[in-house]
Amino acid sequence: MRRILSLMLSLAILLCAVPALADVAADVEAGQSMTHDELVEKALAETGTFVVYGNTSRIETAAEEFGALYDIPFEPNNLKDQEIYEKLRYVTGNDAADMVMIQDGAQLTDAIDEGLVLNFVPGSVADALDESDQQPALVHQYINKLFIYNNLGDNVPAIHNVWELTAPEMKGRVIFKNPENEKVNMNFLVMCTKDEWADKLAEAYREWKGEEINLGEYQNAGYKWVAEFLDNVTFGKSDTSIAEEVSQETAAGTIGLFVLSKLRSSSVLTDNLTVAAYDATANGYAVEPFAGFMYPMYTMVNTNATRPYTAMLFIEYLMTEEGFKPWGKNIGAYSPNPAFAVNDGDLTIDVWKDALVVEDADYILESFDVEDFVLQHCQN
Amino acid sequence: MEEVKARNVALSRMKGRTLAWFTKPANIILLVFLVALVVLTLYPLVSLLTETVTVHAGRETRAAHEAAGARTLYHFERLFATRENDYSRIQFYEPFVNTLTVSLAASLIAIVFGGTVAFLEMRTNLRYIKFVSAVFTFPYIMPSWTLALFWENFFKNVNIGLKTSNGIMAAVFGVYMPEWFVYGAFPIALVLGLHYAPYAFILIGTMLRNMDASLEEAATILRTGRFRIIRRITLPVVRPAIMSTFLLVFASSMSAYSVPVFLGSPVRYYMLSTKMKSLIDSYPGQAYIIAAVMILMGMVILLLNQRVTGSRRQYTTVSGKSHQIKRIDLGRARTPLTILLVIVLLLVAVAPLITFALESVIVKAGDYTPSNMTLDFWIDTDLTKRLDQGDSTGILLNPKVWNALGYSLGLALLSAFIAGTCGILVGYGVSKRRGSKLANAVNAMAFFPYLMPSLAFGAIYLAMSSKIPWLRGFPLLVLVGSVKYLPFASRSGLNAMLQLSGEIEEAAVITGVPWWKRMLKVIFPIQKAGFLSGYLVPMVSCMRELSLFVLLVPTSNAILTTMLMQYSEKGWAQFGNAINLLIIIVVLLVNFIVNKLTGASIDKGVGG
Amino acid sequence: MPEIFLKNVSKHYGKVVAVDRLNLQILSNAFLTLLGPSGCGKTTILRMIAGLETPTEGQITIGNKVVFDADQGINLPPNKRDVGFLFQNYALWPHMTVYQNIAFGLENLKWEKDEIRDKVKALLKMLRIEPYENRYPSELSGGQQQRVAIARTLAPGPKVLFMDEPLSNLDSKLRMEMRAELKRLHRDTDSTIVYVTHDQQEAMTLSTMVCVIDKGRLQQYAPPLPMYNNPANVFVADFLGNPAMNFIDGHLTEAGELTFGGLRARFEPFNAVTLGERDVIVGIRPEHIRIGAEGPLEGTVYSTLPSGMETTVKMNVNDISLTSVVFGDVDFPVDRKVRFSFNKAAVLFDKESGKALARGTLTMME
Repeated sequence: MRRILSLMLSLAILLCAVPALADVAADVEAGQSMTHDELVEKALAETGTFVVYGNTSRIETAAEEFGALYDIPFEPNNLKDQEIYEKLRYVTGNDAADMVMIQDGAQLTDAIDEGLVLNFVPGSVADALDESDQQPALVHQYINKLFIYNNLGDNVPAIHNVWELTAPEMKGRVIFKNPENEKVNMNFLVMCTKDEWADKLAEAYREWKGEEINLGEYQNAGYKWVAEFLDNVTFGKSDTSIAEEVSQETAAGTIGLFVLSKLRSSSVLTDNLTVAAYDATANGYAVEPFAGFMYPMYTMVNTNATRPYTAMLFIEYLMTEEGFKPWGKNIGAYSPNPAFAVNDGDLTIDVWKDALVVEDADYILESFDVEDFVLQHCQN
Repeated sequence: MEEVKARNVALSRMKGRTLAWFTKPANIILLVFLVALVVLTLYPLVSLLTETVTVHAGRETRAAHEAAGARTLYHFERLFATRENDYSRIQFYEPFVNTLTVSLAASLIAIVFGGTVAFLEMRTNLRYIKFVSAVFTFPYIMPSWTLALFWENFFKNVNIGLKTSNGIMAAVFGVYMPEWFVYGAFPIALVLGLHYAPYAFILIGTMLRNMDASLEEAATILRTGRFRIIRRITLPVVRPAIMSTFLLVFASSMSAYSVPVFLGSPVRYYMLSTKMKSLIDSYPGQAYIIAAVMILMGMVILLLNQRVTGSRRQYTTVSGKSHQIKRIDLGRARTPLTILLVIVLLLVAVAPLITFALESVIVKAGDYTPSNMTLDFWIDTDLTKRLDQGDSTGILLNPKVWNALGYSLGLALLSAFIAGTCGILVGYGVSKRRGSKLANAVNAMAFFPYLMPSLAFGAIYLAMSSKIPWLRGFPLLVLVGSVKYLPFASRSGLNAMLQLSGEIEEAAVITGVPWWKRMLKVIFPIQKAGFLSGYLVPMVSCMRELSLFVLLVPTSNAILTTMLMQYSEKGWAQFGNAINLLIIIVVLLVNFIVNKLTGASIDKGVGG
Repeated sequence: MPEIFLKNVSKHYGKVVAVDRLNLQILSNAFLTLLGPSGCGKTTILRMIAGLETPTEGQITIGNKVVFDADQGINLPPNKRDVGFLFQNYALWPHMTVYQNIAFGLENLKWEKDEIRDKVKALLKMLRIEPYENRYPSELSGGQQQRVAIARTLAPGPKVLFMDEPLSNLDSKLRMEMRAELKRLHRDTDSTIVYVTHDQQEAMTLSTMVCVIDKGRLQQYAPPLPMYNNPANVFVADFLGNPAMNFIDGHLTEAGELTFGGLRARFEPFNAVTLGERDVIVGIRPEHIRIGAEGPLEGTVYSTLPSGMETTVKMNVNDISLTSVVFGDVDFPVDRKVRFSFNKAAVLFDKESGKALARGTLTMME
């Protein structure tokens, strides 16, 4: 009995003890103006295993090469966005991530405001990147989700205009991941209602139908397109399974909106697929007004990092051509650094920026009620 | 003088009473568990409820127009009373109705299917009884979503869902199932019902095994028809077991996440669990309200359960008397019934295993020709030709897989050991002080973690652990696993104890056998089978658990299930299927070893 | 050999009073039976003396040792009370053989191996269960299990033996046999036995003292035969004896004239007591109603239960029903008129309180 009491007492004491946080913000501030060698020196002085969270599986490859380069033990973790945020909030000490790679600019903006993560821009890239790719968060790469269709049979949905996807005959033939389950999809749909894209959609409608758009109950053309698009959509489980499904021989007549890089997967029958944007470029036209969407993947330092300099060194490494390679060697990932060459047959980041909807965190954050509208149309 | 004397008497009386109270091990156990469970289950509940009225940083501050940390009723208003864009209907009311429908249907399916099989096994001369009862637990061992995946892959066709590919049924047999059969409420309920049918099988089966056959014989003598006997005699006797099954299956189905995602998403069928998961990120307040609603639903059923079973519940006691079980002769129906049952079991329990094995050796999805098959994903040393990055060896050669297997197994065994042992102690304490407030409180709190949706449970423990520096990694996982699966253990512990007549222990008390020795030498050996199932069920559940641990694992390679999830995220279906198969094999192996060593097994169960 | 004292012992379960201020003195070498209907608190009393249950109030002494005192805060555990307990359901440990069952307690008492073996062998022999030494309880018949349980209880040589309805699970033939064994055991072991039963016949035949309990209260405490003849109240009178005593509502005048069931009689108490005028219950034992060719009274036979040794006759007299026992193998046709007389004693109980007023003779008046 006494032993139990003393155990409980010590538990209570431990409950109250919260570890003091090192001032990572000051370190990041200092790191900003350090040279590469200074960073290396500081990083190597840090001990323990370097912990990385990322929602891209290739971070493992990058971390492996980085670890080998500097002889730093590392622990890469491939997690989903929401798990990363949850862990950033609650995990402290040695298990806490030092550095995260994360998508969904809207939520990241909130996370920065909440003080969960810190932005670090290595001196080496400050000049090479657009200001918008450096602040408020450093963009490591852009990822695109494109309209990709099955090219078999005589009913190939080789679209020239996204309004074609709203036609009654396309019902059930468009496959997309549920925007509720992955926020970047939601962000894309919300972006369509922004004036800039709504206007383009209205223009595209005119081209498609040859008449002015009749908005009816909708606020603008963006809302109308989102509603009618979602009415035709069937939700798939994941980008991988959507890619696999659309590529099946039996899937003639279907079109998906999914991550281009999934085409690398050996389980996808790539021959059966055509990327609408590539086909358009090859044949001298453009998919109006967009061929899909694109979203940034950010690299950030965890405010609770125990190895901030290693984190900064890793970010610096990731921003080099070498560090980008695990992603850059395949299609579907684009460095914001225009100096990096793209893969054969792929388009450059500048072309994509014009052809695709790119998320605007500020608009998404202020239009959180548009999400309700989207949700409404994810229902039957 | 008189006053002093009276006070002294009162004092020594109190001392005596307290002393007497503390000399009973049951009281000490209950007290210790009361304190522990307040911290481990009541505190999480309270913090969950607090979350529902707190503004969280991020999107909530913007939507609620309040600072983070402020108290608010915004989440309730928003979730329950927002007409705009049908928000409340979409986010709460429809998923709520769907959850009720699916959970009810799943419970019914589990009870009817599991109960029927239990009846056939225990009371009739069905053939291959051993095979049936062994295979019947397979769906429970498998993660529930694997059965969902199997269902989809087996029945999907180009007329329904994604309309992109044909499953085995359409491709091989040319049978195109309608959409309601493959996606939506029906298959979700069916898959969950099949997954949890072993509960019914175990609970009802134990009841039937212990049922005095003379009850049925008495009815036979009165020339009652066989069907009438079952309806009027057998069913009422097993009603408590049916109610327990209902509670367990309902609460589990309600918080199932992956199955509704796989089978509901394509037809836009949502449940509370899926809504909770999509909300927990941006609007945690609303997500926690959904969790609270789910807990409330579970509690309502728990109360109903207690009202129905109440104190009339009868317990068999181990007193040395044994009664004969008379098996009903199925007559001409014997062989056809056996064949039917074996076919159904092969379909729901064995076929998925075969497909996992198949899917782990094919290269391109959907192509089952031998030329598309390879064992590379299991045993190749260089997979770079098939995969562009990451793990480049087959899973059997991958040290990460072996580490994760060791970690998972260690976690499962340790959690099971703690949960099982605590379950026995709780069962002991509660049965000895049955009916007392203390026992009721401990019993209720020990069952409580069952009603907490795993995802919310994990999230709250993560938040709790952030305040306790040393509580992280493996110890945290073990703690969470032990608490979450304590309900199974305490149930089987209590049932085993209630079956044991109190005299059995008192006979040892009289000769002064100390408490620990009574537990080890008398009580445990007698109810070994029942107690061991209190270890086995948590073990199995831990091995295949994902959502409970996903936020708490120190690294994403730590346990097999998170690894499995990662592989399916990456689209490496072969690895995913191989690991799934590995989990099932390991669990079966452990069950087999325990069975051989001790005679206990999962199908002996959660007790009567 | 110890005497056992219970002083003002009560047991409350919440608001329910299971045992109410019980005072009891159990003499050395007594075979005391606690008798009462199920749920009357008799088992609780036994368990409190043994230490398996804690009283709410009072004091219990075994020998010279106070084993429980609520006021002084004394409460000795069962094993310190030097008692043995024989359970209703035998409570044999199913995972141990007969030998292990008996030896387990002794091992725990740190006896030497040889000592244990000798003791177990002796007990096996005494209870005639030697052949079953290595069997498990489930392989034994009910009677054999009971013997093992007795052996196990006797093994440590307790000074007091408690038995909680030990024969209730046996069939009637075995029960008769075991009764004789128990009585012999009482003599052979020279121990004090406290025995709980709801079977009045068991109590009558086995004990040296009977203690009748109802609703947690002591009703009467006396040796069996005196209690049978001089019941303290209606409850005791009714509980003892099979077939049960006849009870007829009646009225007694100041002059000692008794009217009951349409009959008139003069009641003469054995001891000189003043009864006064009051409503009474007349209690007449069936064996005290003599049926014969002659007799002052006449009744109609309603039904008969001949058992060979005796025949129980139920008959209607005016508007009351009386039960009588006729010894020998006689039978009476149903609906036949018979003559009878009240023989020997009747007991008068106060109608209001149910307490016995007096024993005496009935003389019928015309």
